[in-house]
Amino acid sequence: MWMSYIQPPVTVMTDDLLRMESIVKTFPGVIANDHVDLTVRRGEIHGLLGENGAGKSTLMKVLYGMYAPDEGTIRFDGEPLRLDRPQDAIDAGIGMVHQHFKLIPRLSVTENIVLGSREPAAPFRQENLGDGLLATLRSSDPVQAVASRFSLGLDRPQRRISDLADQYGFDVDVSAPVRELDVGQRQRVEILKALYRDVDLLILDEPTAVLTPVEAERLFETLERLVDDGLSVILITHKLKEVKSVTDRVTVLREGEDIGTVETATVDRSELARMMVGRDVLFEIDKPDTTVGEPVLEATGVSAIDDRGVDKLSSVDVRVDAGEIVGIAGVSGNGQKQLAETVAGVRDPTAGTIEISGQGLADASPEEFVAQGVSFVPEDRHEHGCAGDLSVMHNAVMKDFRDEQFGDSVLFDYGSVGDFASELVDDFDVRGVSDVTTNCAKDLSGGNLQKLILARELARDPDLLVANQPTRGIDVGAIEFVRERLLEQRNRGTGVLLFSEDLDELFDLSDRLLVIYEGEIVLRTTPEETTREQVSVEMNGGGEAQVSVADADPADTATRRAADGGRSDQ
Amino acid sequence: MTDASFLIGLADATVSASTVLILAGLGELISERAGILNLGVEGMILVGALSGVVATVMTGSYWIGFAVGSICGLLTATIHAFLCISLKADQAISGIMLTLLGTGVTTYFGQQWASAQFTGFPDRTLPVIGGLLVEIPLLGPTVFEGPATDFVALGLVVAVWWLLTRTNLGLEMISVGEDPETADTMGIDVFRMRYLAVLIGGLLAGAAGAHLSLAFNGIWTNNIAAGQGWIAVALVIFARWRPGRLLFGAYLFGLFNSLRLRSQSLDLALGPESPLAGLLNPVIEFLLNPAIMSMYPYIVTLVVLVATIVLRRDDDSAQPAALVQAYSREAD
Repeated sequence: MWMSYIQPPVTVMTDDLLRMESIVKTFPGVIANDHVDLTVRRGEIHGLLGENGAGKSTLMKVLYGMYAPDEGTIRFDGEPLRLDRPQDAIDAGIGMVHQHFKLIPRLSVTENIVLGSREPAAPFRQENLGDGLLATLRSSDPVQAVASRFSLGLDRPQRRISDLADQYGFDVDVSAPVRELDVGQRQRVEILKALYRDVDLLILDEPTAVLTPVEAERLFETLERLVDDGLSVILITHKLKEVKSVTDRVTVLREGEDIGTVETATVDRSELARMMVGRDVLFEIDKPDTTVGEPVLEATGVSAIDDRGVDKLSSVDVRVDAGEIVGIAGVSGNGQKQLAETVAGVRDPTAGTIEISGQGLADASPEEFVAQGVSFVPEDRHEHGCAGDLSVMHNAVMKDFRDEQFGDSVLFDYGSVGDFASELVDDFDVRGVSDVTTNCAKDLSGGNLQKLILARELARDPDLLVANQPTRGIDVGAIEFVRERLLEQRNRGTGVLLFSEDLDELFDLSDRLLVIYEGEIVLRTTPEETTREQVSVEMNGGGEAQVSVADADPADTATRRAADGGRSDQ
Repeated sequence: MTDASFLIGLADATVSASTVLILAGLGELISERAGILNLGVEGMILVGALSGVVATVMTGSYWIGFAVGSICGLLTATIHAFLCISLKADQAISGIMLTLLGTGVTTYFGQQWASAQFTGFPDRTLPVIGGLLVEIPLLGPTVFEGPATDFVALGLVVAVWWLLTRTNLGLEMISVGEDPETADTMGIDVFRMRYLAVLIGGLLAGAAGAHLSLAFNGIWTNNIAAGQGWIAVALVIFARWRPGRLLFGAYLFGLFNSLRLRSQSLDLALGPESPLAGLLNPVIEFLLNPAIMSMYPYIVTLVVLVATIVLRRDDDSAQPAALVQAYSREAD
């Protein structure tokens, strides 16, 4: 469309669609890409693997014309490509699905997709012109220029988008405003946006970070179909499982450096992990037996509503003892967020009681929960876990700033606050911090921000730690680190309430396991007693009849309570 | 019949008074839909009003005066655009600076024009159908007879609505006001689009000023805007960033304004025979005090702000998501 497919005879036909050579991109104080090469063949799914902050997104923003590289060349379809702005990339046939969706909630699906392509209204389209004087007038350049600005024809694009959606089996209402769509649908709109522009190369930046496993599976099926239709795909990810299951080749970046490109089939997961992290990564977690102590959390009959006033929790009982990890499994949106926030004290329950170490705190302020030894790692680390515009130092003491070691009741002792923050940054291996007083929390990558939040919450040696999705969206190195720290904290006698959608994580870490479905605990068990399959079924509400399985073991008090609770609910 | 003539006079004054709010409000609305808050409306109105008078006196043509006033408003807005879009300065500070600048400059240069005589916009009717429309009782003479700028303003309400909802340009303007980074990835030149919106805003504010001096007052006086620029800013919030509601709001605020000007002749006090007279008359007197009445537009705007938040009707008509946010590509 925009490029001649008739190659001049001297050019050797090549299978390479894209060649990025020796790309260098620096930001003040950081080399984000240090002589990185990337070659993508026609019709392949090419993985771009690296930890958070390894430079994957930067490289792709260079390719999409959003960042100007300091050095390096880009050849696309055999021709040198100069990219000054995203429009140049779009014109060349490169589409990108960003990690944070580039959609405008107020506008409709169609409007979002045609935005920027200046579709004139029907009377001014080339094929509608016909013959005669009027047609000549309407096809003249000035009239077309005016029409492309001062009119808007959404009818034809809407039909084309519907057709594309049907072709790939996307269930998206093309006239609905984007704010009414869920995350999976929004991602499909992003893909439609690229397809609508007839891209040859589609870049997906960590597309599964926001998806449920089922949605992710669907996405990969879509990608396979796109590749069958001749597209090439770059898949940016830090999930080894995804790389192994869908990519043909993979390029690994580590701290801005190009570690190499390999055929996916020739390497195994641990080799990839080693390339990515630079050392061996343990996938096995060693969990020593501990003796549990007194209950640190006893929540009884807790109900709660979400921000829109919809009931999300109905009469939930949860107990966590000192020195145990209680895992909560569930599909996103089944009340985990409300349960986590309620027991951490940041959301008031509509009914029920919450006791922290024997102290009733149901109507208490978050401050009293903090004072009582409750730590909280919230689900949305940018929104609720930190104050993005404040420095790492301020964020590090956000819960304990009243402590004597940081000054008296009037003045801060910034020296000791800074020392404390630096210590946490070192202890928890928070990378990307050159000065705790000037680096803002929001500038840390996801994994490093999570380490900082965890450092803050654990430095207080809490009695109860509520951790909601602590490893979501972070790279394997950071995941390993976070899990080890959670276990370490448990061994030191902290009761941990762990919410996760990653069943492997729950089975590896938990001492006891609860399954939440539609605001109720539907299964109470332990990792030894149950299977991933059973938990999976319960998470999706398919296991009402199987409560009796748990009932069969009267020795476990938690299980007994579950069975009672189940009956009294009916 | 004094009541009827009072009503007609009031309606007529309301329509006239609302034109300046419609013009300035539409300009501010476009600017804000593209993400740039411009608190310099008052200053731009003053610049437009004075330069309109100067050009009219010098050329003898009020249409040239209107055009010059509009363009001088646009030039004033260029300062704001450069500071806020190119230099990413704080929009509130830059806008207030613009108002102070406009006030100072027009007060200094306006002295010698204060007594200037010129022919302003005469009242007229629409061509062809105007003669019939004027015959409509009450509505006819109030809405369909007035200076040409009144009709221009009404036409612009439709034009701006069309621009924002039915054109590619409007879609792109809204997108840079909602999420400039997304707009950028879609190949839209965010800077150019925002400049365009701010300059249109200045053009319309300048037009509002020129209307004020050339059609509404027929004379230049110091600080002729008298806070109407601020009311226009409030009006955009009141209208929830929609042109249609802006027209309604402009009439409502125009009504407050003409009521205020007529508050002397408004005698709503209860007669001495009424049992509540002693209690209510001071309240009525307070409510009809011109100084108190000049606050009504702001009070209504506050009520609307509170109501939209309390009723949570914010999602479909709320303010542009990226309002007041500067954009630069490599800073995320």
